[in-house]
Amino acid sequence: MKNRLKVLRAERDLSQAKLANLLDVSRQTINAIETGKYDPSLPLAFKMAALFACQIEDIFEPDTFSATG
Amino acid sequence: MNIQTDKNEQRLSAIEERKTVLAAAIAGGAMGLLYSAGFEFGKLLGLGTGILFGVAIGFRISRNPPKMRYPMFLLRRTLIAAAFLLFASYIYSYLLDQNLSPTQAFLATLLPWIGWTAVVVSIGMMIASLDELQRRIQMEAIAVGFAGTAIAVGGYTLLQFAGFAEINVGVVLLIMSLMWLIGKLWTLWKYR
Repeated sequence: MKNRLKVLRAERDLSQAKLANLLDVSRQTINAIETGKYDPSLPLAFKMAALFACQIEDIFEPDTFSATG
Repeated sequence: MNIQTDKNEQRLSAIEERKTVLAAAIAGGAMGLLYSAGFEFGKLLGLGTGILFGVAIGFRISRNPPKMRYPMFLLRRTLIAAAFLLFASYIYSYLLDQNLSPTQAFLATLLPWIGWTAVVVSIGMMIASLDELQRRIQMEAIAVGFAGTAIAVGGYTLLQFAGFAEINVGVVLLIMSLMWLIGKLWTLWKYR
């Protein structure tokens, strides 16, 4: 899954450690999400969306999206 | 005011460091003592080497805290629980050589169980304090540890049928720890 976390974080001038503190996770987790190595749980994704005052879809998008049927 | 705060923070971190080194030294000493009994070498040598090993690990942890998100007091609590388990196991092995009655031997057997319970509870608290990625890392490391130990010990059991020496439980635990460490390093690298 692709994400815009790094961009959103940079826009708000937040370090990985500061964002990790705000979301109550480790810096390692923020780094793994930003580099696409780990997809967060739904509760954490909602927490991020609330923090950045946007929708989950504004942060995350699937690698491939096919609208069938 | 700022200077005082800085000093207080330094003081706190120094206390934290000392406590961690002390906890690791106690756990290391207990491990050394137990190994000296298990592998039959000098108790003082085992105790001394274990304490030195513990102090080295304690300093390493204090200067470069683990990336895991658990509070340091939980790590110290686990080290103390492990030390209690190791000391209890040592006392248990000593008591078994004292010609105890069956009831006394049964009661002595319960001693290490208190230690095991303390270790399991404190590790459980450490895992509960982790975030979702770190729990996954721990889970994958435990899976590697479990599978790796099963393969290594299972394989060696077959060799025992061919006349190899019987495997010691201490060695099995050592293999398990090593496999868990390999699993942890691998998963940490995977999510780096």
